[in-house]
Parts: sequence; C-alpha cells; structure tokens
Amino acid sequence: MNIVIIEDEARIARRLQRMTSEFFTDRPHEIIICDSLQKGLEQVSRQIPDLVLLDLNLNGDNGFELLEQMVAASFHTIIVSANIDKAITAFAYGALDFVPKPFDQERFFKALTRFVSPTLKPNEDIKYLAVKRAGQVRLISISEVIYIKGAGIYTELHLNNGQHELHDKSLEYLQQLLPERFERIHKSYLVNFQQIEKIIITPGTRYGALLKTGEVLPVGRSKYKDLKNKMV
Amino acid sequence: MYYLIFLLTLLDLLAIPVIRNEDPVPVYKTGDNMAWVSKNYNDKDWSETRGNTSDKIFWSRTHVDLRPVENELIPLGLQINSFGAFEVYWDGVLIGKNGQLPKNGNPEIPGTECSYYRIPNHLISPGLHTIAMRSSQSLYPDVQRNIGFTINNYETLLTNPLITMAYMNLMAGAFLIAAVYYFFIYLNSKRRQKDILIFATICLLFFTLLIMEYLKFHVMLPYSEFFVRLEIIGWLTFTNALLVPWYFIIQFNFRYGKWLMLALLLTLLGLYWFNYGHYDLTARLYSLAMLITAFIVVLNGIRQKEKGGFIALAALLASALVNRLVVYDFGLFISFTIIVLSMLYLHSIRTSVIEAEHQNAVLLSSRLQLELLKKNIQPHFLRNTLTSMMDWVEESPKDGARFIQALATEFDIMNEISEQTLIPITKELELCRQHLSVMGFRKEMNYIWDQKGIDETQLIPPAVIHTLLENGITHSEPLSGNTIQFVLQYSLSKDAHQYTFETIAKNRPVMTDRAGGNGFKYIKARLTESYGQNWTFESGSTENGWMSAIQILK
Repeated sequence: MNIVIIEDEARIARRLQRMTSEFFTDRPHEIIICDSLQKGLEQVSRQIPDLVLLDLNLNGDNGFELLEQMVAASFHTIIVSANIDKAITAFAYGALDFVPKPFDQERFFKALTRFVSPTLKPNEDIKYLAVKRAGQVRLISISEVIYIKGAGIYTELHLNNGQHELHDKSLEYLQQLLPERFERIHKSYLVNFQQIEKIIITPGTRYGALLKTGEVLPVGRSKYKDLKNKMV
Repeated sequence: MYYLIFLLTLLDLLAIPVIRNEDPVPVYKTGDNMAWVSKNYNDKDWSETRGNTSDKIFWSRTHVDLRPVENELIPLGLQINSFGAFEVYWDGVLIGKNGQLPKNGNPEIPGTECSYYRIPNHLISPGLHTIAMRSSQSLYPDVQRNIGFTINNYETLLTNPLITMAYMNLMAGAFLIAAVYYFFIYLNSKRRQKDILIFATICLLFFTLLIMEYLKFHVMLPYSEFFVRLEIIGWLTFTNALLVPWYFIIQFNFRYGKWLMLALLLTLLGLYWFNYGHYDLTARLYSLAMLITAFIVVLNGIRQKEKGGFIALAALLASALVNRLVVYDFGLFISFTIIVLSMLYLHSIRTSVIEAEHQNAVLLSSRLQLELLKKNIQPHFLRNTLTSMMDWVEESPKDGARFIQALATEFDIMNEISEQTLIPITKELELCRQHLSVMGFRKEMNYIWDQKGIDETQLIPPAVIHTLLENGITHSEPLSGNTIQFVLQYSLSKDAHQYTFETIAKNRPVMTDRAGGNGFKYIKARLTESYGQNWTFESGSTENGWMSAIQILK
C-alpha cells in the first residue's frame, strides 16, 4: 500500500499520516508527505501510489489543476480540504471522497474505508472523467460514455460520438466512481445500462448485450442472471 | 411679439433715425459770443477741428436735418455724447446744461459723457436745425473726441438704457450669487479645488464687468473718469480671457496647460500693448484670443473623450456666433453668459464625478474593513487552524490550550483594528508576532521575527505588514534548522518613510503568477486609502528570499 499525502500544513500532514498508519496498521504500507503541489506532482509521477490525500488549497496555488491531473491517473484521490464549498466540484471531477477540515478520526476512517471497499460509492455523482492525452488533461462528460472496456492496465472509454479514449484507472476503480447505471456485464466491460437494447444469446450459449449503437458486447456467465432480472 | 420687437429695438435693428443727415459734423470756434447761439448765424469760417482749447470756452455748432416725426415720438429728446462741460442751445433756445463752465475764476465742473435734453415741441419742424453748444473741456483739453447726437422720443431715450440695464443687472445678480456661492464652497471644502476658486473668480469678475459697463446709471461719472472706466473694463476682460481657458484646461485635463496659458498671457499683453487706447477693439481681440484658446482645449478634451466636451464645444460655437452677430455691448455679455453656463454645467458634471469618487472611497473603505475581518474567518485560515488545534488538543492538551490562547489574542487585535484606517505600528507588530505564534503551532516551523529601527510613533494602515507576513509564510520553505526569518526595517529619509520587509528562506517554486495576488491588492488599496498617490510598493525575490518595500512619501 502506497499513500501520498499532499498537505502544506505540517501539523495536519502529520495528523493524516498518523491516522492513515493506524487505519492500515495490519497491512504493509508506505506514507510519503509532500508539503507542496510541485513536490506532490513530482512524487506521483516518480512512483505511482495507490491513494493520494490531497489538500485543495495548496500554498495559494489552485489545487484543481492538480486535481485534474490526479483524477486522470490510475490511483484514487481523497480530498482533505478547508474549502468545503468545493466538495461537489471535487466529486464531479472524480474524487473518491471529500473530507472537510477540521476532521476527526471517525470521518477520516470513513473515507479510507470507502477506499478499501470497492462497493461503496461516493456521496455525490461524478460528472466528468479526466483523460490524459498528449500530456494534456481533458474532461469527458459522463453522459458521453457508452461503455468502458478493460485493456490491460488501461481502460478504453467508448463515447457516443464513436471515438474512444484511454483512461489510466482500472475498471474496478472506475466502477467505484461511476454512478449505479454503469453495470459490470463482464470482467472486461462496464456499460451504461441505459444504452443496452436487449440481451441476446448467441450460439454456444454465449450471452451478449446488444447496444443501441448496434454493437454487441459479451456478457459474463455470472452476470447474465442479474442483468436479465434488471432488464425486465 | 412685443418681446421680439423689444429685442430687435434692443439690438438697434428697427429704429429709423430721426436725424436724416448721417453723422452731422460740428464746427468749432474758440471764444465766447452769445450771438453764436442763433440758428441762422453764418459759421462757414468755423473749423471742423477744435484744437487744444486749454481751459478756454469754445463753441460748437452742428446742423441736423430732422425728418417728419410721428406723434408717438413727441416729445423729442436729444442725447449728446461728448466730453467737457457745456450749455446746449437748440435753434437758439437753451435746452439744458451738463456740468458747469468755468466762471469768475472758478474752474470747470466736468459734465458726464452722455447727457439727455428735451427739445421744445414747437422747434421740431422737419428740416434743418442748429445745435449750438457753449463748452469747455479743461480736463482733457487736447483730446479730440467727436460729439455724438441721437434724437428719439425723450422718454425712450431715458428709459431704454435702463431697461437694458435691468436685464443686465438680472444677469449680474445671477453671477454675483454664483460667485458668492462658489467662494463659500471653496472656503468650506476640505479639498480646496482650484477650479472652484477660478470659477468663483470668473463669476465675480463678470459681475463687476457688468456693473462697470452700466456704471453711468448708478453714479454721475465725470467725463474725466471716462477712460478709467474703460481701462477697468479692459482689465476685467483681460483677466477673464485668462481665467476661462484656465478653467477649461483644468476641467479637460489639458496636458500642456502651462505653455498654453503662457502663450495666451503673452498674446493678451501683446494685444494690450499694440492697441493701447482702442478699448472696444482690444476687448474684442481679448475675447477672440480667449475663444481660440478655449477651442483648442475643448477640442483636445473631446479627443481625450473627456466628459462634457461636446457641451463646451457647442457653448463656444454659440458664443462665437453671438460675438460675431450681435453688437458688441450685448454680444460680449451674452457670449460670456453662454460660456459661463457651460462652465456651470461642466462643474455639475465634475461634482457628480467627485461624488461618485467619494462614494467609491467609502465603499472601498468598508470593503477593506470586510477584507480585514475576513482574513481570520476565511475557511482556509480558520479550518486549517481548527484542524491543527484539534490535533494539538488530542495529542498535547497543554500546548493546545496555548495555541487557543494565541489565536484568541490574534482575533482580539484584529477586532480592535478592523474599523480603523491607520493604526500604531506597535499594534501592527503585535498582530504579526501573534500571527507567527499561531502559524508556528500549525506549520511547526521555527519562525524568527526581527525588527529594526522601528519608530513607535508612526502609524500604518492595518494588516499591511501582516499581509506581507502571510505571503512570506505561504510562499517560503524553511532553511536548515527548519527556520524562516522575517525582518522588518524602518528608515526615514528626506522625503519618505520606508518599511522593508524581508523573508529569509527558500522561495517555493510558483505554479501560478503571484503579481496580481489578493494580498498585494489589499496592501495597495490600503495605501491608496490613506495616502492617495503618495506611496510606492515593490516586491520581489532576492538572494536570501523575498523582499518587499513600502515607501510612504512625505
């Protein structure tokens, strides 16, 4: 477990570190504290962490610049911030949780629990997925996404304009962030439920989902029943 | 309709002269003989020039040709414009006197330049008549001035100028009130604006000009003082011709005002010099110079998009037109009035601008007050402080208590200074030290505060150094030993108080531009609020960290 804390207040950074250590007490973990945005960026590009705890107002620089880059990366991001009015925006960008300052152990543990239990969804809906392309971060509206395909360490976002974008996050992480209507129909596919026309059975008792776009995606054996029930 | 006729009469457009021969020429003879009074005396050998008559008595005879007159014009009156003291005979009949001729060794008592006489009704038959004048001109014996004759209804002759004067006095009264009012405004205003003083002076001078112009109706003015009055009128016009463009120069922010004023002054002096004695011409040229200068300033004002430029231009055009079309006596005053009205309008515009500026200043002050108060309740400060405090309380309650104490003190000072625009420097320093102590708990850094040469009697806008300190804390990384040092130094030079605030630390690399930061805006706004333009503020990185300098100019 590799955790990066980006926080310019030494006391608060230590508090986060202490509580995180306590939470992950039964598993091996490494916590790195960065006291500036610059250092944070350098750190996560040098060694990709599993989780970033990010203070949004960092040394006067706009934390959202970093947030855009962070949420486009493969790890989850939890915002710990005094700017509580930015909570909804943080969720919209794809933060896993937003811990308002001041926080106690209980509230902070809740955020970490969300990180370790994939089935727990964020409080607010995500609105965008940030994707990196040629060094630039671009925000893609969730409503444009038809389905997402796992492809090794990346995922492919298939959009309603026929194009697709690569995302650094795993299918599991994306599923956790995305709203309920994104169904895992296969170990490699996450589909916007509203885009499914019907479930079809192809010869050899293989299942498929016919999308409104005419594409057919495979449906996992174990997922079929669930999906069938939902369709009715 | 009546008014139109009146106005046209006023402008001398309707009257058909009663005297048919234009410019009747008097003939003169020095000496005194009552036989020269007679209508039909043969004056063929008399001279058309008077010569220097010293204090002797001389006679003049003038033949005028009367047209048949309507009944409304009867009784007829004769208006004489002439210097000297004299007795007037119409067809041999004495009809009046002006002043007293020298008699039995008593010197002449001067008459006035303009006098009126009633012509007996039985002596107004159409045709030739003789005006014989027994005169002396011992006060201006060598001045050759033509004698002017006007014949009209006696009552009209007497009352018309008075009616004109009544209207002029109406104007004069308005200018007097304006002058007094603006003098009072000037004296009672804190800002003592030069343009108000100029405007008040213009109004006063113009009032005086009108009074001087019609002075003859207020007092009996001996002919010997005639030129003094003209001279005074000349200098009044001269001064106004200087002041009006000056006012426009101020109103329209004309850049080369001093040079233009110098050129105007030289021009006016030149006009005075070259046309000495030609009073009407000089006054006309003065107002022409004034109009041209004003045009230059106003046109430039329009180019600079100054408020009220077109109004002033319209007024100047109207004024030039009136000056050109209407006879001088009224023309000058009407054109002047138009200009002064436009100045009054400009002034009201300026007043409203100043009012708005004042409103803005008040608004700015309250905004700055709010900003100061917000410093300690804005979420970034408050919530981070509270989070640290939570941690201290949980981990080390005693230190937590000290932390709370420090924060409470900072709040107290903030509260104390929040409504002031200037506070003692000692208060500001106390605030800074308290802030450092709070931040020390939060950042767990070794902050060192140094102050040098502080003059404890000085005042400073609140939280200005505090803001620099906040910036220093936010944008610096500690040196070895986890220290950041802040040094505030005060120095007094010949023309400025200077505060330099140095942060000795490593500057954090900046990701966004710092120049337009809110902190700097706050500092600059505070300095402007208290010192207007008389301050400088510089801030930049140095070898040792960061250095800011505030200069308050004396």
